[in-house]
Amino acid sequence: MQTLTPTELERYRRQIMLPGFGEASQQRLKDSTVLVTGVGGLGATAALYLAVAGVGRLILLRGGELRLDDMNRQVLMTHDWVGKPRVFKAKATLEAINPDVQIDAICEYVSPENVDDLVQAADVVLDCAHNFIERDLLNAACVRWGKPMVEAAMNDMEAYLTTIVPGLTPCLSCIFPEKPDWDKRGFGVLGAVSGTLACLTALEAIKLITGLGTPLLSQLLTMDLSRAEFSKRHPYHDPDCPVCGDKSRRLAVTRQEEPCFSHS
Amino acid sequence: MSVKVLIPTPLQKLTHDQPTIDCDGANIAELLESLEQNCPGIKARICDEQGQLRRFVNFYVNSEDIRFLEGVNTPLQDGDEVSIIPAIAGG
Repeated sequence: MQTLTPTELERYRRQIMLPGFGEASQQRLKDSTVLVTGVGGLGATAALYLAVAGVGRLILLRGGELRLDDMNRQVLMTHDWVGKPRVFKAKATLEAINPDVQIDAICEYVSPENVDDLVQAADVVLDCAHNFIERDLLNAACVRWGKPMVEAAMNDMEAYLTTIVPGLTPCLSCIFPEKPDWDKRGFGVLGAVSGTLACLTALEAIKLITGLGTPLLSQLLTMDLSRAEFSKRHPYHDPDCPVCGDKSRRLAVTRQEEPCFSHS
Repeated sequence: MSVKVLIPTPLQKLTHDQPTIDCDGANIAELLESLEQNCPGIKARICDEQGQLRRFVNFYVNSEDIRFLEGVNTPLQDGDEVSIIPAIAGG
C-alpha cells in the first residue's frame, strides 16, 4: 500500500470532503483494481469516472476498432482515431486526465481463455459488454472467484443496473436464466443515455470499494430515460441456480452460524 | 379491475408505441390473455410454444419478481403495476 501523495490529497480534496468518505476511502480507491469489460459508451464512460475518482488500477478489456458511428457516445475517443483499436485510445485519454492511475489496456473480448485470470486480478468487475456471451462468461467467473460484479445494460432509452455479490445476491443467471437473441447494433443509443447508466455504474463500484452509501444489492434499478422513470425491483435469487446455487447455500449456512453477520 | 402493465421498448411495436397498457386479470395468466386480446402477437414474444413464460423475461408485480410469489398464478389486485423486464445487453 502506498499512502496518498500531497498531489492526490489535493486532486481528490472535494470528494474526501464528502460525509463518510475521508482519506480512508480515498486510500481504498487507490489500493483497488477494477476490471471494465466493453469499453464503449457504457464501459469507457464508467472508466472515466473511476479514473478521475482515483481508482488505483483499471483493466480495460475490449477488442475491435473504433467506428465513426461509435463517436456519438464514446467520450474518450477522438475523430482521428476512427479505424484504430479503441482500448489504447481509452488508456491514453485516461492517463492524460489522471496520470496517477495505472491503466492496463487489453485489446481482447471476454473469452473462456482470459476470463479467470482477469477476474482474479480485480477487486470489482464492471460488466459493460455488448453481448450476452461475454456477460455470462464474466458472471460465472465472478461467482467462481467470489468477486463483486456490477451488471449494467441498456437498450434504446431503457437500462438496468444491479450489483452482484456472489452467494449473497442473485447473480445474472438467477435473474435471467436464459438470454434472447441479441443484435449488438440493432438498437438506438444516445450518448446521454449510456452516459447516465455509466455514471451510476461507476458509483456502484465506488460504493463497493469505499463503503459509501448503499449499493444496489439484491435490487434491480430499472430506468426508462424517455420518461425519466426510475424504479427499484427485487430480482429473484434462485436457490437452485446452476451458476451460484452452491455458493448461495454455503453462504446461507455460514450466516446461520454467525448471527452477527450482516451486509449493508 | 384494472392493472397497469409496463411494456419494454422491444414490445412497444405491438402496443402502438404505448409504454403502458391497462389490462384486466385476476392473476398473471389471465393478464397475459387480456394483453394478447389488446395487443395481438405479444404473448408469443413473452411465452414459449408450451405457453410457459420465457426465461429471459422477468415479471414483477409492483416490485416483486413473480418467481418469489406464485408464478403465473400470482393474484393481482386493482391498482397493481406489472412490469415486463427482458434481458438486455447494450453497453
